[in-house]
Amino acid sequence: MLLLIAWRNLWRHRARSLAIIFSVVLGIWAGAFLVALYYGMGRDRMRIAIREEVSHVQVHHPGFADDQDAAFHFSVDSLAVAVKEMPDLRAYSCRCVAQAMLANASGSNGVVLYGVDPEAENATRGLREMVVQGGYLTNEKSHQLMVGLKLARKMKLNAGAKVVLTFLDAQQNIVSAAFRITGIFESSNAMLDERNVYVRYDELSTLMGIEGRAHEVALLLTTDAAVPATVEALQQKLPQLLIEDWKAISPETAYIISAVGGSSRIILIIIFLALGFGIVNTMLMAVLERTREIGMLMAVGMGKGRVFAMVLLETLLLTLAGTPIGVGLSLISVSSLSKTGIDLSQVAGNMMKGFGLEAVLYPWLPVQQLGEIIVIVIITALIAAIFPAWKALTLKPAEAIRR
Amino acid sequence: MRRFLSILIGIVSGCWVFAQTPETAFAIIKKADERARGKTSMAEMTITTVRPKWTREMDVKVWTKGNDLALILVRAPAKDKGTTFLKRKKEVWNWVPSLERTIKLPPSMMSQSWMGTDFTNDDLVKESSMVEDYTQTLLGSDVQSGLPCHKLELVPKPDAAVVWGKVLVWIDKKDYMEMRVEFYDEDGYLSQTMVGSEQKLLGGKLLPSRMEMTPADKPDQHTVITYQSLVFDKPIDDAFFTTENMTQVGN
Amino acid sequence: MFVMLAWRNLWRNRSRTLITMASVWCAVLLSALTQSLQRGAFELMVANVVSFYTGYLQVQQSGYWDEQTLEYTLPYTDTLRATILQYPGVAALAPRIQVFALASTGEKTKGCLVAGVEPEAEDRVTRLRRKITAGQYLTDSMPAVLAADGLARRLHIGVGDTLVLLGQGYYGAMAAGKFPVCGILHFGSPDLSQRAVFMSLSTAQQWLDAPGQTTTLVLSPENPASTDKLAAGLKASLPPDMTVKTWMEMMPDLIEHIKTDTASSAIFLGVLYVLITFGIFATLLMMLLERRREFGMLLALGMKKGQLARVVLYESVLITFSGCLLGILTGIPVIWWFARYPIRIGGDSAEAFRKFGFEPVIPASTDPGILLNQALAVLFIGLVLSWYPAYKIFTMNPVEAMRG
Repeated sequence: MLLLIAWRNLWRHRARSLAIIFSVVLGIWAGAFLVALYYGMGRDRMRIAIREEVSHVQVHHPGFADDQDAAFHFSVDSLAVAVKEMPDLRAYSCRCVAQAMLANASGSNGVVLYGVDPEAENATRGLREMVVQGGYLTNEKSHQLMVGLKLARKMKLNAGAKVVLTFLDAQQNIVSAAFRITGIFESSNAMLDERNVYVRYDELSTLMGIEGRAHEVALLLTTDAAVPATVEALQQKLPQLLIEDWKAISPETAYIISAVGGSSRIILIIIFLALGFGIVNTMLMAVLERTREIGMLMAVGMGKGRVFAMVLLETLLLTLAGTPIGVGLSLISVSSLSKTGIDLSQVAGNMMKGFGLEAVLYPWLPVQQLGEIIVIVIITALIAAIFPAWKALTLKPAEAIRR
Repeated sequence: MRRFLSILIGIVSGCWVFAQTPETAFAIIKKADERARGKTSMAEMTITTVRPKWTREMDVKVWTKGNDLALILVRAPAKDKGTTFLKRKKEVWNWVPSLERTIKLPPSMMSQSWMGTDFTNDDLVKESSMVEDYTQTLLGSDVQSGLPCHKLELVPKPDAAVVWGKVLVWIDKKDYMEMRVEFYDEDGYLSQTMVGSEQKLLGGKLLPSRMEMTPADKPDQHTVITYQSLVFDKPIDDAFFTTENMTQVGN
Repeated sequence: MFVMLAWRNLWRNRSRTLITMASVWCAVLLSALTQSLQRGAFELMVANVVSFYTGYLQVQQSGYWDEQTLEYTLPYTDTLRATILQYPGVAALAPRIQVFALASTGEKTKGCLVAGVEPEAEDRVTRLRRKITAGQYLTDSMPAVLAADGLARRLHIGVGDTLVLLGQGYYGAMAAGKFPVCGILHFGSPDLSQRAVFMSLSTAQQWLDAPGQTTTLVLSPENPASTDKLAAGLKASLPPDMTVKTWMEMMPDLIEHIKTDTASSAIFLGVLYVLITFGIFATLLMMLLERRREFGMLLALGMKKGQLARVVLYESVLITFSGCLLGILTGIPVIWWFARYPIRIGGDSAEAFRKFGFEPVIPASTDPGILLNQALAVLFIGLVLSWYPAYKIFTMNPVEAMRG
């Protein structure tokens, strides 16, 4: 009965109903869109961290993390056996690592020198696609070196230039060797482009006197979800080695992702305050407009409780009507933008690269977040409706009709 | 440092036999190098660092044996007296009496200035040899410090751990002294210049007793090495070049 | 005449006026608060990062920044100190002498960055004392060092152990010294944690044989927002061989990060504006619905549409103006409150903030320009929207309106 009255009321005042529905739609869309933007940023960072930087899982000697001391190496062969047994393995790369000084006639710069198998490294991190000048490491020529774009700019290096790398071998002897730059790469993280340089595994392991041994193994898995199981399984097979997931290896990525969670919450609060206020104002206006009507209803004997319930019910109906539209609109805009992306380069230029973020943002809306937003919008709308409904109660029927 | 060691430490006259026939660039360099390379050497020198605002003098004594072993003792100024550097192959150790510690220089320090001079720590240990690590070409004749010289171009071999793009060397035709060396970077720009002068009989050989090193990008600063004495081929035991001995030699 | 009419209309239906005004007021308040929080977060981040080490401003000898060697020292005289401290806008000054050196225990040797500082002045500018995790802070006369935790771990040293520092002193002399470690520091920046060593300025000058010399004078400005202006002014009043570097020049990466954040917060503000615009619009729409009868009556009684439209336009403009004014007036205490009692971040995010040495809070920026700009923006939106009711009146059919 009450529902029927509320329903009819809504149809009688179409403009008002549409206004409220529209605020709900807009509220859901705004909340969902912004949350998608922030989550997209976090997911991009995580995707880049895993795909281009640290991979899903890394294996080191327990002593290696402390000081990256070249003495902490392990056998590649026995490790490969264990790694290949992992069911979700997509690719893996064994590396030897040295803290090195890269020097040419005009100066020198501290770098982390990686010896990698060109194909395995490419399968794990896609290094070949990052080449912006020159070519990728090949197995034919010797003494090839890949450096990042930022380092190349800083030291004015071009493909073909020769540099000397000086580092300690596994016995702590100083080794220096000449390499020629075969290619310059640019990843999404300029900080790494300044620090990491790559040569072939066979050459570096020989120079360091650790043939057949490695300091680091990076594993790329088929899904993100397989990380905990793989870490556990590997740890059981290789109890003497340290197995870590990407969060442990790249804590700053974990930081960015959790910071995204924190700031998106504050944003949501502000959005819902704006939404709530919009609804309060619209409903208040509606109650004012309906003074006569409500007065009449009360005069013919409708109780205060029922008037209150009716106004609330109306709001609930409008919110419920707006929700699917808002959800639909959010899904459409987020999914279309998640393909094309939002180009921030107008505002930020290539600046985002400095922090391992792409200049193009791809929004991403986790289902759970959308659910939360819907629940919060409905609650906001109802809370916002209480004040106008209460306002309706304070009307005196006689006065209300007279106006 | 290795550069000045190799240039300063002895110059062998020899090779009269080939003096008359036209010489290959390789032979010229080899002759000059052999002159500068006694089996062992012991030199006393003053190293003067000249900067726009100040000048600093340091008296040092240097022992070498072959290509791999060297020991440097600082004798003045008083504050640094007794400080020694030991080079064994590519490693450098530093002993400071007041600290009573021997410190091995890490790779990151190798490109830093050695004792505030225009030489780097790397110059101390560089094993690159003008004979083995470069391909030599004779460019012609030139006059340097008033002496008729062979002018040669040295291009490092592909795998040599050398930062230079090329090196130009002026070698005096009569006594095979290296009178001038210019170091160029990969792009062909001059990086630093070393000029020899004031030839004297040192250790029985005629040698430039003054060497001046000037970085190209800082023309108002340079480092000068002046030789007081030089002795060649006096036997020195390998045990002299040890971390134990580097703590003793200054006493 | 029309203004008077509009004014009277506003007073005649006070609830309606108040509701519309409230929607404008809320728009000003929310957008100003948002922008204040965003700006506040940036300012805090900058304050956090500059307090790692560089400070907001540094006075250096020209050429020092590129070479970072003792060739480019700055004699720290009383006159220089007085000149800088008396310059308007300079809040504090901390002199430093800084060199790259080797830190060794005998077995292990690592490269490090040694900074000689005046302990109390340094604490005022970069809050060095707060970074101590073990042991004690420096005193002026004590020949001891503070080592960053990463470096200490790599060298296997702790409080009470002896650290050998080997570097290049003034005039190229060798600087060698043995110092007891009196405390361990933790920096948010991994780089500093890996290699920073601090000692008192007098100890460092003695170690480097550089009496009276410094390499940088770190300044904090009274108002961080005017760092650029202060740098330019100060540079002009210093001898020509000295230069003033701002944190923006010293840390270009941080600027990049701020630009990134600005880009995403611009999107956020845009979405908020859409929401606000619609909020005000919906209120105006409701107002129109409510007054249809009234308007229809007035038009039927012979009032010209143009006249009525003007009255209604004036009403909306008056409401928007007063709403914005109210927004500014109430915004001041609200923003002040959030500046005084910043929003605390909880959970995982807080942990992540702490890991980087930041306090997990988001304070509001009290820059008065923000409130003013947002009020102007909302005023603009409100004025544009005010045309809508006037437009509606022109298209109104009086007879239908009266019946509705």
